Amino acid sequence: MATSSTTGRTTGEVRVNGEARRLDLDSRVTLLDMLRDHLGLTGTKKGCDQGACGACTVHLDGRPVVSCLVLAAQCDGREVRTVESLARDGRLHPLQEAFIRHDGFQCGFCTPGQLMSAAALLAQRRASSADEVREAMSGNLCRCGAYPNIVAAIRDVAEQNGTAGDGGPGAARNGAA
Amino acid sequence: MSALTYVRPDGVDEAIALVSADAGAAFLAGGTTQLDLLLKDGVIENSTLVDIGRLPLTGTSLLDGAVLRIGALTTMADLAEDPVVRERLPFVREALLAGASIQLRNMATIGGNLLQRTRCRYFRDRTVAACNKRRPGTGCAAVIGPARMHAILGADQNCIALHASDLCVPLVALDAEVRVQGPGGERTVPLTDFYVLPGRSPDVEHVLGHGEMITHVDVPLPPATSRSRYLKVRDRASYEFALASAAAALVVEDGTIAEARLALGGVGTVPWRAGEAEEMLRGVPATTAMFRAAARAALRDPYTLPGTAFKVELAQRTLVRVLEDLAEAAS
Amino acid sequence: MTAVSSGKLLGEPVDRIDGHLKVTGGAPYPSDFSYPDMAHAALVQSTVAAGTIRSLDTAGALVAPGVLTVITHENAPALAEGPMTNIGPSPRFPLADNRILHHGQHVAVVVAETPEQARDAARLVRVEYDEAAPVLGVGNPDAPVLTDPYGMESSRGDVEAALAASDVQYDETFHMAPETNNPLGLFATVARWEDGRVTVHDSSQWPAMARQSIATVFGLPESAVRVLVPYLGGGFGAGLRTWPHAILAVLAARMLERPVKLVLTRPQMFTSVGHRPESVQRLRIGATTDGRLLAVDHEATATRGAEEMNIEPITMGTPDAYAWPSAATHDRLAALNIPNPGAMRAPGHAEGGFALESALDEISYRIGMDPLELRLRNHAEVHPSTGLPWSSNALRDCYRVGAERFGWSARPAEPRSLRDGAWLVGQGMAGVTFSRWAAVCRAQVSVGRDGAALVRCAGTDIGTGTYTITAQLAAELLGLDVEQVRVELGDSDLPLAPQSGGSGLALALSGAVEDAARNLLRAFLDTVRDDDSSPLRGRSLDEVAVTGGRIHLANDPSAGEDYAAILDRHGLRELVADGEKDPSPPEGLSMAPAGAFAAQFAEVRVHEELGIVRVSRLASAVDAGRVLNEKTARSQVIGAMVLGIGMALLEETSFDAGGRIANATLGDYLIPAHADVPDLDVAFVGGPDAFNAVGVKGLGEVGVVGVPAAIANAVHHATGRRIRSLPITLDKLL
Repeated sequence: MATSSTTGRTTGEVRVNGEARRLDLDSRVTLLDMLRDHLGLTGTKKGCDQGACGACTVHLDGRPVVSCLVLAAQCDGREVRTVESLARDGRLHPLQEAFIRHDGFQCGFCTPGQLMSAAALLAQRRASSADEVREAMSGNLCRCGAYPNIVAAIRDVAEQNGTAGDGGPGAARNGAA
Repeated sequence: MSALTYVRPDGVDEAIALVSADAGAAFLAGGTTQLDLLLKDGVIENSTLVDIGRLPLTGTSLLDGAVLRIGALTTMADLAEDPVVRERLPFVREALLAGASIQLRNMATIGGNLLQRTRCRYFRDRTVAACNKRRPGTGCAAVIGPARMHAILGADQNCIALHASDLCVPLVALDAEVRVQGPGGERTVPLTDFYVLPGRSPDVEHVLGHGEMITHVDVPLPPATSRSRYLKVRDRASYEFALASAAAALVVEDGTIAEARLALGGVGTVPWRAGEAEEMLRGVPATTAMFRAAARAALRDPYTLPGTAFKVELAQRTLVRVLEDLAEAAS
Repeated sequence: MTAVSSGKLLGEPVDRIDGHLKVTGGAPYPSDFSYPDMAHAALVQSTVAAGTIRSLDTAGALVAPGVLTVITHENAPALAEGPMTNIGPSPRFPLADNRILHHGQHVAVVVAETPEQARDAARLVRVEYDEAAPVLGVGNPDAPVLTDPYGMESSRGDVEAALAASDVQYDETFHMAPETNNPLGLFATVARWEDGRVTVHDSSQWPAMARQSIATVFGLPESAVRVLVPYLGGGFGAGLRTWPHAILAVLAARMLERPVKLVLTRPQMFTSVGHRPESVQRLRIGATTDGRLLAVDHEATATRGAEEMNIEPITMGTPDAYAWPSAATHDRLAALNIPNPGAMRAPGHAEGGFALESALDEISYRIGMDPLELRLRNHAEVHPSTGLPWSSNALRDCYRVGAERFGWSARPAEPRSLRDGAWLVGQGMAGVTFSRWAAVCRAQVSVGRDGAALVRCAGTDIGTGTYTITAQLAAELLGLDVEQVRVELGDSDLPLAPQSGGSGLALALSGAVEDAARNLLRAFLDTVRDDDSSPLRGRSLDEVAVTGGRIHLANDPSAGEDYAAILDRHGLRELVADGEKDPSPPEGLSMAPAGAFAAQFAEVRVHEELGIVRVSRLASAVDAGRVLNEKTARSQVIGAMVLGIGMALLEETSFDAGGRIANATLGDYLIPAHADVPDLDVAFVGGPDAFNAVGVKGLGEVGVVGVPAAIANAVHHATGRRIRSLPITLDKLL
């Protein structure tokens, strides 16, 4: 058991953007609030705190999740990546450049979440068509309505670096009419 | 909740012991609905969460080539990519993909999906006084509210809270079984018997006792000649719960229906198996007229309100649409 | 000096200068600010819609771990009323007494060491109410109704006589559901007092007003209040007031003598920061069978909160939308026990546009005329109310270009004539005549020895691209590269600016920057007036031009020098100039200042059995005068179109019988998601507007207005069903 069980606090260790961070937190603290309030990583945004908007999307052990519905305690021993880790050595990630080029944001509040979902999408080669991108990105709401530009940015990068995928078995076909 | 205790046990038995011993404790799996209700809405009150997320209950196995055993902690995302699900259970895959955003599919587990609580905004708002599910005997505010995302089957004036799972719709059609482990040992419950209609006790939603945990879900595979489809109808094109949905698996031989498995979502207080409709279709020609008759039977005796009345027609049309698609594909 | 390259319609599609910050997570939004020793506040809200608080028990909360204080009407100090603004009075302060006027009214604020402690302790505050029957629903006969509440009703000609004499007498009623702005950024206030002064990070679209409001309420000089909003997570009108929660955060910080952060929850966003009110409209139109519109009578009722005021000018655009000889408008405002509504992107216009452009479509079918042709026949060549020429009007070009790009001419007139398998396909269109609005704005421009410029203004960039267009404009006016211009916005200490609202900031700010740049160049010329070593000695503004960081003679580019050389020689670190623009039209102006125009075209697919409506194509042709940046301008229009899709098909704030909002989450209140939005086509047409030096017309809202009607008209074309209430959900089509 990795946690204390009487004080309402949790201790442990989580790797955030490649760096080991000690946890000693109120057990009620979510991963989102840990990042923002305790680690000062405010790039990850809180848009609903109920898993209904995607603004808080981060990668947990390489997979995109909504950090508002994960307890920080659940991340003990796990790997978290946030928007702050996308640029490497001062160079923007191709998606970040494409978002700027295509104006894939307006107010910019949903952008970190959109980027983290998009990065995972490309890693899984699930960007073979605009429709596939739209379905896969639908967990990231944008109230400014930058959607067409976001899709264009993702498709642009996918085409450029050959990570579009083939729309084959991995392509999303769900039961929606 | 002025403090929350978080515990992560190393084994199933230990987890069960921890929860059984503490009335304020609950299992925490993926957390997608649990944490929402506990932390944000404040409508459930657990003083201890027992995190079972890392217990070795993930992945699938094929039993005798006929039953797919799914570990309860398999994520929705992983199950959707399972080769057996892809090949033999396409409508399960469709329901998984339509069931949540990618982020939530990466987090939510199959066991958690089965146990997800209703989206009813009267249940989920602790300031609403009348909710028989939250506080038995207080009444139901939803029946006088602008209910739209609510149930019409298995519902009455005491509770119209919808069971919003997409995944459970094909699973209930397939006669899936839930394997449970608890302080008293292991048992197996058919999914069709797992949920309890609200009746006079809407607070009781399923047959699990305190400290009992779903460990696996066993899904009997339909015949190889079976074709299946899940159709979800909703206002938004994605990332929304169903207004109505239908899961169907048909075996059609020479234009005649040899076997039909049907269930509805978005309309029931529990995942709704359309057993009578299945009976009606067995052995009859796969025609639109038959489908319509079966759909009418599936929606018999609904409990509707002004905001939900449209679902009777919508659910029938959804079911007919699915059946026509399958019949067309078979011919 | 050439003011701007006035012949050019489209400004360079420069990437946003704040883009890097936004894609790296580095742009600081109000909720991102923290201070050491900061406490956290959580609200307790009323669970009844009308009545009084009988008792309030805070004992349980006060002893909860970490709780510092609980503020209620019983211990809150008396505060002054907020000021009157150009969009009406300030919201009522909810802790002034024990009265409850709507469900979700703040009744207490709990402040604790951590957000978790505050949130959970807020659930321990026990409130009992003496409940009264709430007055709800736009048509409620018990609701007090204000007549002509904005003083904007208008009348010309004998409308009743013209209607009675018309061959075609159209008379229909439209209903629109209340909508909630729901910017993705949860509204937040971080307040910090120091030596009698307060710094406030607030989710505001209008720092100057926020400063004025806080100063007034707390009895401070405005100089003692600083409001900072360098970035805002969207507003769409929600940030046009200083809402009670912001006052409560500032108050809590003062009472505790500690910085306090208050972040609204998503459910609280539905009740605390305004919404588009529910509305009902009756439209009567008289027309001839050959498609001449003779008269219109437009009556609209919107809602307001009890003891609150909001402006929802639904009928405002109607008299000047077409060349009808007779026109009358009637505005009504019904007071209900609902959360205070407010502005939501294109307030009034969006509702009026839906009714008007649906009505024209209906009339076109009654007389058997193409809907586009009907609009062309009634195009207002001059401003109908005054008879003056428009300062610009390319609406005809909007129709032509939009129709061409959309392929309107191939559309068969008959409803239900297009189909793709189980899907019925329909096409519809709408025209838009948007009002012009702008207020006084100031800006400061400076150039330093590095030859780079700094533009400063209190206005905000809420995602509209203000940072970028300001930099572009200053660069053009000073002959610099965009990279050489830095822009500071969103700080009430900077020169006064109006709200980012009413599609008015770009117009007002561009005028102020133009004035400031002109004054700055004049200051440079003044500096070298008697300078023998300057080739610009004794020259006046109209003799020079600027390029490549140099001021030079307009007719001899070789005769000039750069900014740095002048500053250097005269021992100056920088030169600074202020500018101001009062964009209101002067008395006796010989033209009618125009707002933006647009034509919008929609194609929908409606599932014949299931009633599902999906937008498959949407195109807009927009006359917004001079477009400062084609890229950000296009984003403004597509964003507005997406909001229009939501309004048409998805969005409805649902009140239950007790006045509680029954769908106050983003899982239940549906805004468009990626999958709802196809590629959107936008074209800009027209030319720079004549009544303003820069030629700009606002374009933040025009893109919303025609979309709901274009979609509803397309649904009619697809199905033969006319839906006059929004949103058009599938149950209305089964």
